[in-house]
Amino acid sequence: MTDQTRPTLLASCASASTAAEARFRVNYPNSGRRRSRIFALDGPAAEAMFAITEAPWQGAHFLAVGSGGDVDPEATGADDLPLSHPDGTGAKLSEEIEGADVVVLISSTGENAGAAEVIAREAYHRHIMCGGLALAGTALANGRGSGAPASSPDSDPTSHVVNTLRPFASILVVARDADFIPAMLNALRA
Amino acid sequence: MLRKDVNDLLTQTDSGTPMGDMFRQYWIPALLASELPEDDCAPVRVKLLGERLIAFRDSKGRYGLMDEFCAHRGVSLWFGRNEEGGLRCPYHGWKYDYTGQCIEVPSEPDESGFCEKVKLQAYPLIKIGDILWTHMGDKEDRPPKPTWEFATVPAEQTYTSKRWQECNWLQAMEGGIDSSHVSFLHSGGLKSDPLFKGAKGNQYNHADKKPVFEVTEAEGGLYIGARRNAEEGHFYWRITPWVMPSFTMVPPRGDHPMHGHFWIPIDDENCWAWSFDYHPTRALTEAEVQYMRDGHGVHNEYVPGTFRPLQNKDNDYMMDRDAQKRGDTYSGIKGIAMQDASLQESMGPIVDRTKENLVSTDNGIIMARHRLRKAVTALRDKGVTPPGRDPAHQMVRSVAVVLPADQPYAETCKEDLAARPGQKHTSV
Repeated sequence: MTDQTRPTLLASCASASTAAEARFRVNYPNSGRRRSRIFALDGPAAEAMFAITEAPWQGAHFLAVGSGGDVDPEATGADDLPLSHPDGTGAKLSEEIEGADVVVLISSTGENAGAAEVIAREAYHRHIMCGGLALAGTALANGRGSGAPASSPDSDPTSHVVNTLRPFASILVVARDADFIPAMLNALRA
Repeated sequence: MLRKDVNDLLTQTDSGTPMGDMFRQYWIPALLASELPEDDCAPVRVKLLGERLIAFRDSKGRYGLMDEFCAHRGVSLWFGRNEEGGLRCPYHGWKYDYTGQCIEVPSEPDESGFCEKVKLQAYPLIKIGDILWTHMGDKEDRPPKPTWEFATVPAEQTYTSKRWQECNWLQAMEGGIDSSHVSFLHSGGLKSDPLFKGAKGNQYNHADKKPVFEVTEAEGGLYIGARRNAEEGHFYWRITPWVMPSFTMVPPRGDHPMHGHFWIPIDDENCWAWSFDYHPTRALTEAEVQYMRDGHGVHNEYVPGTFRPLQNKDNDYMMDRDAQKRGDTYSGIKGIAMQDASLQESMGPIVDRTKENLVSTDNGIIMARHRLRKAVTALRDKGVTPPGRDPAHQMVRSVAVVLPADQPYAETCKEDLAARPGQKHTSV
């Protein structure tokens, strides 16, 4: 055989990218169940997040940082962070984050930056991707905004939220509406 | 991952589909103006949004775009005679003007008025820049004319090409906002492509292969910022605008021309990839234009006499495994455009998004789909005009810039991200 040999069957070359050939693609589950951990950093973010927790998620855990979340990250251990499940029961960060595939921080007011740092630090040490979702629209609706575009100089609450998440997130999304939460989590198979 | 019903919603653009209705809200590129170079020139077959059309330029320089087939017996008017103010079917001589109105039926008495009852579906065709644009929607709801900067700068400052891409428009367009693939697939081009190389920003690209992404909603679509490490205390930002439904710009490099794309459905399994280069403050040099004609940058080489890329699925895109091993190209495929197209076409004519496994860095794509879905359903259910029609939404630019680490791009670069006629772009 020489390097002059060329594929001769349709399915052996790029021409196989037809609809007819697509039916011969191997059909099997090509990924395992993901462990996603979603953290709402403030009250409005928690309200938006808990509104969608009843959906049939594939292993996602939804957790809210409680009052007292405005911690000094240097002096706060993982399990000292006040976290709660949707049913109000408490949760330990170290147990929740162990073995997670992705961590998502949701913020709408920019509060609790210290809690964000504690969570992001634990994710970093475990080599877990940490993403941030800033709910700009919620921030504006909370009364401090002017209705300016997301992340404009006039939208101080949005900038505050973004600046809270930026140091910790490998991917940061600034969304106008909370309906992006389920859209994103579904896309990520959370 | 996207549910099948949502995938169908966003990928199907024939007449009567929700996404087709959305595309019909906009002026879209239909032909290069050079395809109809003179009055009474040969007509051109055009397929757009699943509709087979014929384009022609009549004796008075008026452009027409109408149903390809004669109302009499269904003959393709591509065989027609373009003469004396209309396109005449060669079979029995029926003749149509640029509005699709039948103006002669030789077999019928002139006085009968029969031809006045015959009219082909037709759409407006207007020339702005190098492009003939059409609006295939409701004529009572025609949007303002396009204001894209690349199409409105002086002719010597802009160059546009188009190529046939053999896959659905959405997977092609998603490549335009997927900034994370650049560090891999196009890494060779930054060193060698004459329309990219030499920019200082390229050094940041090579030095930091793990950019951090920041996706921000804009009135007309999105900005996708990719952040890489630069000098101490600074970040190098490459910011890609996406304007609904299918306009993207690539962040610039040095003083090279800026470039970008339109992705326009031909049908559900094919699209036109429109590619443009322009400089906002100077004429393109002869060398730059020649590079573009030769297929460098975002352009490509062609099968002679066609808009089909020379590298295509029938020749395995001229895969060069030696170049891949040497690192001249990352994938073995020559040229930025065909590196993208080869992979996007390999997904199949309409990729099955129920099987994909997106990760956090795909959030630009996730947000774009989300915005499209909301806009499509709002138009379908409530008649809400979608973003991107407003001329203000079209006045965007891409940006490449080094900023202090504590300065967010969306706030700091607000002016740079807006098209400013006669002012230089922001580029490193």
